[in-house]
Amino acid sequence: MTTTRRRGLALGCGFAIAATMLAGCLQNPNAVGGGGAAGGGSVVDNAETDGDKVVTVMGAFGGAEADAFRESLAEFEAETGIRIEYNPDSDFTNLIRLRTSSGQQPDIAIFPQPGGLLELAEQGYVEPIDTYLDYDELDRTLLPGFLESARLNGRVYGAPMRMAVKSIVWYPKAAYEAGGWNTAPANLDELAEVAAEISATGTPAWCMGWESGQGTGWPGTDWIEELMLRMWGPDVYDDWVTNRIPFNDERVVAAFDALGEMIDAPNNVRGGRSGILSTAFGDAMLPAFADPPGCYLERQGNFVTGFLPEGVQANLDEEVGLFIYPPAAEGEYTGQPMLGGGDLAALMNGNDPDAIEVMRFLTSDRFGGPWASAGGWLSPHSTFDVSLYPDEITRTTAEFAASADVFRYDGSDLMPNAVGAGSFWDGMIEWLQGTKTAEQVTTDIQNSWPVDDSAKDEGDGS
Amino acid sequence: MTAVAAPDRPVVRRGGSPARPLRALWGLVGVVLVGWVLGNGFLSLAYHPEWYGHNRILMALVGIVLGIGGSALLFYCINVFIESLPQRASQGLIPYAFLLPAFALIGLMLLYPTVQTINYSFANNKSTAYVGLDNYRAIFADPAFWTALTNNALWLLVVPAVTVAVGLVVALFADRLSAGGEKYSKSLIFLPMAISFVAASTIWGKLIYDANPNIGVLNAILGTENDWIRMSGGRLNSFLMMIILIWMQTGFAMVLLSSAIKNVPDETLEAARLDGANERAIFFRVIVPQIKGTVLTVFITVVILVMKVFDIIYVLTNGQNNTNVIAVMFFDELFTAGRAGRASAIVVVLLLLVTPILVYQVRAYRKEAAR
Repeated sequence: MTTTRRRGLALGCGFAIAATMLAGCLQNPNAVGGGGAAGGGSVVDNAETDGDKVVTVMGAFGGAEADAFRESLAEFEAETGIRIEYNPDSDFTNLIRLRTSSGQQPDIAIFPQPGGLLELAEQGYVEPIDTYLDYDELDRTLLPGFLESARLNGRVYGAPMRMAVKSIVWYPKAAYEAGGWNTAPANLDELAEVAAEISATGTPAWCMGWESGQGTGWPGTDWIEELMLRMWGPDVYDDWVTNRIPFNDERVVAAFDALGEMIDAPNNVRGGRSGILSTAFGDAMLPAFADPPGCYLERQGNFVTGFLPEGVQANLDEEVGLFIYPPAAEGEYTGQPMLGGGDLAALMNGNDPDAIEVMRFLTSDRFGGPWASAGGWLSPHSTFDVSLYPDEITRTTAEFAASADVFRYDGSDLMPNAVGAGSFWDGMIEWLQGTKTAEQVTTDIQNSWPVDDSAKDEGDGS
Repeated sequence: MTAVAAPDRPVVRRGGSPARPLRALWGLVGVVLVGWVLGNGFLSLAYHPEWYGHNRILMALVGIVLGIGGSALLFYCINVFIESLPQRASQGLIPYAFLLPAFALIGLMLLYPTVQTINYSFANNKSTAYVGLDNYRAIFADPAFWTALTNNALWLLVVPAVTVAVGLVVALFADRLSAGGEKYSKSLIFLPMAISFVAASTIWGKLIYDANPNIGVLNAILGTENDWIRMSGGRLNSFLMMIILIWMQTGFAMVLLSSAIKNVPDETLEAARLDGANERAIFFRVIVPQIKGTVLTVFITVVILVMKVFDIIYVLTNGQNNTNVIAVMFFDELFTAGRAGRASAIVVVLLLLVTPILVYQVRAYRKEAAR
């Protein structure tokens, strides 16, 4: 018995020591692919062959969208002789990190959110666009403010390939026009008047749904972002999403209060606070197309049309009306903001002239004709030919975006993941349910903001 | 035996099977060489895909050949080395030599990650520099962590006990049914075991707990429109989610307990009946003591399952509305927030909490085996 025990002990100790020796080290902080970000001198490279007329592209969108993407590239490929291999993956956000860390990054990656792009840019895997694109020309044709989302330490690392817009209010055309309400409110006060008129008829004015499975709460963050932009303007908004002003600043609390006022106004929002939370965001607008409508207005992104009943989708221009979510009537900022998002294309192989050629085309206003006609795609360029869009609704949406005074990227996509896909969502739920006040929720979110540990990295970094 | 062994010994000492240093060297060099070729072969797959023409199928084939052929060669060289040692040493070492790869795998897959996780729990978010106890300080100062711990404790208190109790009751009553009835009722109760956690959570979340009374059965029965899984008052939503796990695990408990009950010797039951014991007394005094071992096994298995519970909460609430548990919190910290340090600290705490249960289980098994 004692010998087995002693042997077991010796064996255990041996393995423990071996494991400790194997494990007792940290990751190499300087394990970086190109190193182009910090120095600025060298060029970012990957393992792909340069100049072989084959360019690998990775992105998040698949299925019909991927087909439309390839179709939009066909003409370019025929002209230049460059073959573009597009590999979509629904788990792009994690996969690009994984492939980059194992040295298998594609020539070009199309990021659905700036966060992932900036993370890799910071590690030196992404070529800044000013080294191969005409920045000023790009800035001139793009919606103002778009490139800011991809800026890190003064340089821009990606350019938009597609745009999504969120500051749009949708309504059921026939029923709304029959009610005779204002179809183009000029400011938030006028919109509130419209809502009050609708509520007075006994039907709630707004459709709202925040339920989204694991992501429950995100539609609420969009509301706060919209209100922040309108109440305090883009500069405060930028300070807010980068945490230069704390999340529990009184201006943020005021935005929560403004949203609360809207939700709590009698018969203003369908279902009230509990109804909002149990309604899936995609189902929120369905009652608007019932007869009689259960609600009339929905502020949501241009993707909302995909969730409408089939009969409505078949006849969008006749069935659905829209106006831009208007600016504030007075106060800090009265310009028309547009909240949205976009896919950012980024170059991960600065040595390949073919990849640079593809990037030039992807980020120009010449890209996207066939995709625009197929539907579901908006060009981020104000100079894009709107006649290529398939229906009046898409054209109107594009015009709204082009006419906006300022474009801002969805704030929760810009915030660190711990906040933008974590505590901000949770906070919206707790606030909506009334378990916490706006002050408590915003303080919680501020406390969850990651403390930058780059100071600690520097000790053994370069 | 002793008569045969006794004359053997002097033979050994005199060198019937002496050490063969050249052969030993050959074996040792072989082990090192094979190890070197194997290691570099696998690394070349990762670092120099161009050697294989970027052909994934070719690379997979090379990997398989290296893996299988390499381990065969390795064993052969180990064998050569061991057999060339003096007989006494070689006989003592042979079992270890052949266990070595298995131990090495356990070390690589279990021990190494465990130690590395503990190590990283003292490091920063990218695991590049040590930060002392900062991660532990951060998680213990975080009220969300305490909420998660409380929830885990609640799950631990409720789920294993209820699962075993319900499983026992079902097993007992199924035992009284006709053979056909027992078969069908058991299959029916066992059925939820075959459903994945995600599917079961979705089924319950939509069909039972949905806020719309036209969809959610619970609201339809009660005539309410409650959003059940978002109602955290009295941890109601946590309890509702526990029901899902109990529903899934009762079948497992029932099957094991039922077979244990069937193994209770009829003589003991008859003796008890002859002594005038009623059914209750027979159950508690005769059956339960004889199936205690199985009850314990089932209980501990469910306890460990509950410690790791993730899917149900992730699918239904993602830890929102006070339902968070350690496993979901770990996932969020690592994959959503990208804070490897805190995530490691959280699982280290989980590891510390599970260890006493594991130790207890191993002890209990030993006792069973010794009996």
